[in-house]
Amino acid sequence: MDTFNKRTALVVKILLWTAIAAFFIWGFSQGMFRQIYEQPGLFLELLGEHVLIIFASGFAAVLIAVPLGIFVTRPAFRRTEWFIVTVANLGQTIPSLAVLALAMGVLGIGVEAAILALFVYSLLPILQNTIAGLDSVDENTKDAARGMGLTNLQILWKVELPNAVVSIIAGIRTALVINIGTAALAYLVGAGGLGVWIFTGIRLFDNSYLISGAVPVTLLAIAVDLLFRYLERVLTPKGLILAREANEA
Amino acid sequence: MIQFDNVNKVYEGDVKAINNVDLTVPDGEMVILIGPSGCGKTTLLRMVNQLETISSGSILLNGEDVTTLDKIEMRRKIGYVIQSNGLFPNMTIEQNMMIVPQLLGWDRAKKRDRFNYLMDLIGLNPDEFKKRFPHELSGGQQQRIGVARALAADPPVMLMDEPFGALDPIIRARLQEEFLQIQREVKKTILFVSHDIDEAVKMGDKIVLLRDGEVMQYDTPAEILNHPKNEFVNEFVGSDRVLKSMSLYTVKDLYKAFTLKPNFESKDIRTINEDTSLRVAISMILNQEADQLVIEDNEGNNHGSLTMDLLEQFLHKEIKGQEG
Amino acid sequence: MNELIEYFVKNYPFLWGYMLDHLEIVGLATITAILIGVPIGIYLTTNKYLAGTILQLASVFMTIPSIALFGVMIPVLSVINQGVGFLPAFLALVLYSQLPIIRNTYTGIQNVDPQLRDAANGLGMTTLQRLWKVEIPNAMPLIMAGVRTATVLNIGIGAIAAFIGAGGLGVVIYQGIVRANTTMVLAGAISVAVVAILADFILKLIQKKLTPKGAN
Repeated sequence: MDTFNKRTALVVKILLWTAIAAFFIWGFSQGMFRQIYEQPGLFLELLGEHVLIIFASGFAAVLIAVPLGIFVTRPAFRRTEWFIVTVANLGQTIPSLAVLALAMGVLGIGVEAAILALFVYSLLPILQNTIAGLDSVDENTKDAARGMGLTNLQILWKVELPNAVVSIIAGIRTALVINIGTAALAYLVGAGGLGVWIFTGIRLFDNSYLISGAVPVTLLAIAVDLLFRYLERVLTPKGLILAREANEA
Repeated sequence: MIQFDNVNKVYEGDVKAINNVDLTVPDGEMVILIGPSGCGKTTLLRMVNQLETISSGSILLNGEDVTTLDKIEMRRKIGYVIQSNGLFPNMTIEQNMMIVPQLLGWDRAKKRDRFNYLMDLIGLNPDEFKKRFPHELSGGQQQRIGVARALAADPPVMLMDEPFGALDPIIRARLQEEFLQIQREVKKTILFVSHDIDEAVKMGDKIVLLRDGEVMQYDTPAEILNHPKNEFVNEFVGSDRVLKSMSLYTVKDLYKAFTLKPNFESKDIRTINEDTSLRVAISMILNQEADQLVIEDNEGNNHGSLTMDLLEQFLHKEIKGQEG
Repeated sequence: MNELIEYFVKNYPFLWGYMLDHLEIVGLATITAILIGVPIGIYLTTNKYLAGTILQLASVFMTIPSIALFGVMIPVLSVINQGVGFLPAFLALVLYSQLPIIRNTYTGIQNVDPQLRDAANGLGMTTLQRLWKVEIPNAMPLIMAGVRTATVLNIGIGAIAAFIGAGGLGVVIYQGIVRANTTMVLAGAISVAVVAILADFILKLIQKKLTPKGAN
């Protein structure tokens, strides 16, 4: 049974990779990636815009959301936590396209509108994960720390943040991956990015623009996702990995 | 020394958690706080290091009112052990144990020496465990580390909140023994919360029995068992209190109380060491269906024979005699 | 603000029509996704090797931005002359729903107390009876949570599907952007957000209804 299962999994894996390889071979043979190598300058410019929008908004969101998450989990402000968490949950049901359109309503056409929209949209997952990470620290552990004479700042720095770091990075990952996709829509508010080629392709029914825009965006999203998953693994304190394993066993 | 002076704790809506508690924990003694759940024993403990506020009255730590002391500084001078060990999962064993010394700014050599000393004290190999993490250790080992962490900065006072409560009975008994051994060496002033009367009798120099935030009786284990002050104490210590109290006496206490003739009559009679507790002596007599056991001291001298009859006489003398 | 209200009042039937389109495509895609995802999730509990592969694949799919997925699907589907319109949008929504539904079904059934399974076996239930009477009811809250996540996600992505000619409320936003009509953009955006929040709320109620009283 076990070897049968292993074999099934292997077959499915081979089929998947074959399909992906077939897609790329087909795409290249049809010249669908040609915009990238025919206009490398423009490609890099669009990619640069794309990356700028993502990281400017993401960076600003981290700077605001992490401290805010720390702030609302302090005992004195616990009462605000419920409100913030509810807003964060509700906010994430609003589609990214709607947030982008609303930002355009505020700032008009341009890169600023795109960055504002992505910034606001990234706040939510980062905030949510910061709060969840800090809340996941065992009350008894914090009690022991207080009882031993750690100050609140020391408890935050030595106990709470190391325990929350994985969750915070996961929040940043979620935010960035969503942002990469939303940034592809930024063309609509006149902010450029690889979305320009995708939308050109849709309008002109030109598959080469579509593929030359869509595939790099996809690969960018997957790469950022993998990079941050790797960061999560590397930055997790070893003791916490063991703790998780112990809890799962 | 910890002194509770007319201490009260009142929650919102006039709920009294602690009611007029007066008691003193003398230097170098271990005092056990015990009582049914909700009696306020943990609250009382946590009032000492100011994790709980005091509504009225005062708690003096070596003569100083705890509320006037700097909380952080004071807590660093008090060892604190809790039931769920509270070890920091992100830190190694060494980092966990040396957290307070680190906060106090000890140098590296001093910390290393202290770590090695404490690991020896709790019977774990310092080099083997140094770089390991709490979750790689068994429950008993984690709790030993928890105790050692509390001892790290050599605080004169320790607060222990059911430190062995989460362990299985065999490990618990072993850790109790070990900790008694450690206490004989370090002689800390300890306030210790327990819900287990056997643990209290075994560990405590004195026992405080609490109910609804009030002290029911504050006495030595023998007094609590032999002379319960009221019906509540009597019920709490259990109907086998006489048997429990026998664990507080050794065979030596018994032969010192009587003049016994050495017994050389029979060679195959089982012997019993003078340091054995009387509780064990009773079960030996009952288990072996022997009429008598020959008492032997640590040098192997014969001190006569122990019989059920003699035990009964001793009981009469020590317990009932005092009662009357 | 007044303009916006005026817009809503004036264009009520027009918005309503787009909303129905939107719900239709999201509804069809979600139901299809349940019919595919739940059995896969159940099957995966019997093959942990395949489970790893499939869950990974589904999570990679989730990271693909929707507009990029459309961009890739159009050339592929245009081979069968279905490049734009309903089919690519429908397929994309079904694909995006797979991760939350498969993962939650898989975890839900895996998390059923082994003792319950043992008891069911002891009572002489067949595998199918055990699945139907014990495992699925106990996994229901998690499965429904997955469906809810998928639906809310699809409502958002459905708005983007307007760009490839699939209709729905995205059309209102798109036309608003093209005409630089902020009121129209806002009306479209608010409608989508309200539909998403309402769907979330209603599915939460259904989730509660479908959860057996005893299960947690």
